[in-house]
Amino acid sequence: MSSYGAYVGKRLAQFVLVIFIGINIAFFVTHLTPIDPIEESISVATSFGSTSPEAIEMLRQSLRELYGLEGTLWDQYLTFWQRVLVADFGPSLSAFPAPVSTLIWNALPWTVGLLLVATLIAWVLGNLLGGLAGYYRDSRLLRLAGVITMGFHPIPYYIVAFVLLIVFGYLWPILPITGGYRMNTARGLNLEFILSVLQHAILPALSLVLVGIGGWFMGMRALVSNIVTEDYVTYAEYGGVDRNRILTSYVMRNALAPQVTGLAMSLGAIFNGAIITEQVFGYPGIGKLLIDAVHAGDYSLVLGVTTVSIVAVSVAVLLIDLLYPLIDPRVTVT
Amino acid sequence: MLTILRDLLRYNREFAAGTALMAFVLIISCLSFLSPYSPQDIYLVPPDVPPSWAYPLGTTSRGQDTFWILTFAIRNTLLFGFTVAIISRILSLIIGLLSGYLGGAVDRVLMSINDTFIVIPLFPILVLFYFVMRDSMTWALLALVMACLGWAYDARLIRSITMSLRTREFTESGIFSGMTTRQIVTQEHLPYVLPIMFSTTMNNMNWSIGLEVTLSVLGFTNINTPTIGVMIYWANQHTALVAGIWWWIFFPVALVVITFIGLFLLAVSMNEYIDPRSRLSRMGGAPS
Amino acid sequence: MTSAIATGRPVRPGAARPPVLEVSDLRAYYQTRYFGIEREVRAVDDVSLRVAPNEIYGLAGESSCGKTTLIKAIAGVIRPPLNIVGGTVRFRFEGATLSVYESDPGALAAIRWRHLSYIMQASMGVLNPVRRVRSSFIDFAYRHIARPMPAFWEIVVGHLERLHLQPEVLDAYPHELSGGMRQRVTIALATVCRPEFIIADEPTTALDVVVQKGVLAMIREVQRELGSSLLFVTHDLAVHANLTDRLGIMYAGRLVEEGPTADVFREPQHPYTRHLIASLPRIGDTAPKKGLGGAPPNLADPPPGCRFHPRCPLAMAVCREQNPPLVAIGPDRRVACFAVTPETAS
Repeated sequence: MSSYGAYVGKRLAQFVLVIFIGINIAFFVTHLTPIDPIEESISVATSFGSTSPEAIEMLRQSLRELYGLEGTLWDQYLTFWQRVLVADFGPSLSAFPAPVSTLIWNALPWTVGLLLVATLIAWVLGNLLGGLAGYYRDSRLLRLAGVITMGFHPIPYYIVAFVLLIVFGYLWPILPITGGYRMNTARGLNLEFILSVLQHAILPALSLVLVGIGGWFMGMRALVSNIVTEDYVTYAEYGGVDRNRILTSYVMRNALAPQVTGLAMSLGAIFNGAIITEQVFGYPGIGKLLIDAVHAGDYSLVLGVTTVSIVAVSVAVLLIDLLYPLIDPRVTVT
Repeated sequence: MLTILRDLLRYNREFAAGTALMAFVLIISCLSFLSPYSPQDIYLVPPDVPPSWAYPLGTTSRGQDTFWILTFAIRNTLLFGFTVAIISRILSLIIGLLSGYLGGAVDRVLMSINDTFIVIPLFPILVLFYFVMRDSMTWALLALVMACLGWAYDARLIRSITMSLRTREFTESGIFSGMTTRQIVTQEHLPYVLPIMFSTTMNNMNWSIGLEVTLSVLGFTNINTPTIGVMIYWANQHTALVAGIWWWIFFPVALVVITFIGLFLLAVSMNEYIDPRSRLSRMGGAPS
Repeated sequence: MTSAIATGRPVRPGAARPPVLEVSDLRAYYQTRYFGIEREVRAVDDVSLRVAPNEIYGLAGESSCGKTTLIKAIAGVIRPPLNIVGGTVRFRFEGATLSVYESDPGALAAIRWRHLSYIMQASMGVLNPVRRVRSSFIDFAYRHIARPMPAFWEIVVGHLERLHLQPEVLDAYPHELSGGMRQRVTIALATVCRPEFIIADEPTTALDVVVQKGVLAMIREVQRELGSSLLFVTHDLAVHANLTDRLGIMYAGRLVEEGPTADVFREPQHPYTRHLIASLPRIGDTAPKKGLGGAPPNLADPPPGCRFHPRCPLAMAVCREQNPPLVAIGPDRRVACFAVTPETAS
């Protein structure tokens, strides 16, 4: 089993590299631009009234310390990494004095929940339909399914979410279009809350699924069409193995491995889609948090959400990578 | 390559459809040069007029003719997408070729970096970028940043093509028969590489235009230059839907959806052409 | 002159009974229509042959002569663009006749593996790569050996041990076995239901010579024990000489010669066969070998008349116009050549 250990080692190294590069990018974007985030925040904070020059100067000083912008670039770099490693992003400017970490911590479960459900549905459904479409090439129903799913696929998440908002918000208002749950419902594991959550998640999840399913459908269909010509499938046909068994155990099962890899690779893009969709539907996840933070000029919150996004996606990818050998037993041998 | 395009146009329905759609979009974007109005001016015509003979697509709440603004919007959007695609082609070509031809440690290092860029969620980074740049964000800068972030997927593709071409028999026989490297690359390799470049360019344009629309709708780009996303942004700012000015939203959305589907069809049909097995399955049997 | 040819093979019992396999006038073409161009590749053109019970029939020919297509057509594993254009394939198991292209899929599925099995080329992936070997045995054989699981495994393990394989291979994944080992496991899989007819498609190609010998020995032993008929396809004539009772030579989608292996080797009639036999190395023979000029014909546009005539040293005018029929020139001997049977030209 030591080959599995070597595999885990490689995946962990990649994981560390991703986080390292990603967070460095975040640092350089914010610290090497000619724009001073402090001035940005001050201009937003003081846009609602007049503030005395002394107050502004105090604000400037506090912000400088808060944002870790004291000292040379190298000092700033060290401070930055120190804070990231303990997940301390400081207090949020727009929700002062709530710490950024708390805000993110509250919002993250919503995003994770939405992402998990929507991605799973899109992946499973897409692969199922695509696999059937690749195997039963003559089915008109499956070809129609293909046209529909692939029709939605090239359209960006924002547009689909937007159109759904219009349809279900204005034309046919049967579903809630904002929020994560109905206001004034007691949070907790009671039925009313859970139902409300589900109801509010329908539209965001639907837009994620509509866009995502086409990609999996296409990929699976292509994979299955190729696998059907593989020797072991032909051999099973010579052997008179039951057709359903060939479909599941020989064809789909072998197509699963590349699709799992594909899932790991697409998580970044799906995550993008999720946070955009949250913005459209006012869903209380970190996407909404991010956009609102930008509008409010809340530097630490924006930075915090970006950092957490990078880490979250990398962790998810790592988990999938570690599960991969269970699906494809050949991988540990290399 | 031209014969490939001609054959696809004649026999592949998706390719023909994609070409038709894109031709339509391109014509509309070229009409922008005939516009009687300058795109930056507002309040030139009576606002909020529904589609009619005088104003075929209506007018916006900012006093602009929807049709003429739309021509500028789609032109700028297409230009933006194309710029990003070109720059990122160059990047992905360089990295893919280096990785594929050199192999070994260079390949491993480059691919690790490559996979990093595939995994990292780009949208938060772009938002962060906008946040710190604010009004200094120009279209050129945005295009450059997006190109620098979006080369990863295609670089991997080019790498695998390069690796397989390097070891193919006809390359070796080309070398043995004394062809120069340039001859080998242009006569033997290019026919394989060009269709792939074509389809990845279409895909990349879809991606970059999609991102542009998303960022602009949120107001995260230069909102004074009309693009599809910016148009929708202004429509939202003027609460067009609630006010019943549906044409301000509908036409840009419809046009950009046509663009996406057109590019997608082109990319998919070219992909199918490249893959010999999908070609085989298209070839069905004649009834016996 | 010593040769690798065995002489005087004893006639196996059962060789006189009705044939297990009867192929009549089989035509299988690849028909494609793409970008406005229609192509028809005549991979199997008018082939007829018979295989008796307990007999090893060898099929020889160079690559792209249609051997693999013929096998697919015989086994009934046809998928467009490959289509059966004419002819029949009939099997005879336990007294009942089954015509492959005139029966419903259910009847065909019932005979697969139980009466008709298949050994494929020792390529990387004949067994499902994501499942252990034991699951292949369940998929292929369990429905025929209708016993409870423990009894089933007893039979399988017994079969493996008789073929000198460790029962532990059942728990391995295919990629964990060596090429030769995989092939032996495949042979065991193909014979566990004791089928009457086994098709072997290049089972020893892609194996090194030492492993080849072991695999051939295994095949011979299994055939002897089960009394099955074997359709053994390979381009390697030395293997034919070692193993087969009767030999059929294919060229460009047609059967050009057929007969008992020893006879075909001793007295080849068709010019193509003559050339094949002459090119075999013989111990002590140092004369240089001459290659046959030209190349096998393009089956989408075959030459008119006899397909071999462009490369044939005996080509006559009639060969360019008519196709020589495969006729009997002895009790168990057939040739398709106007030079041998000029009376068949019309």
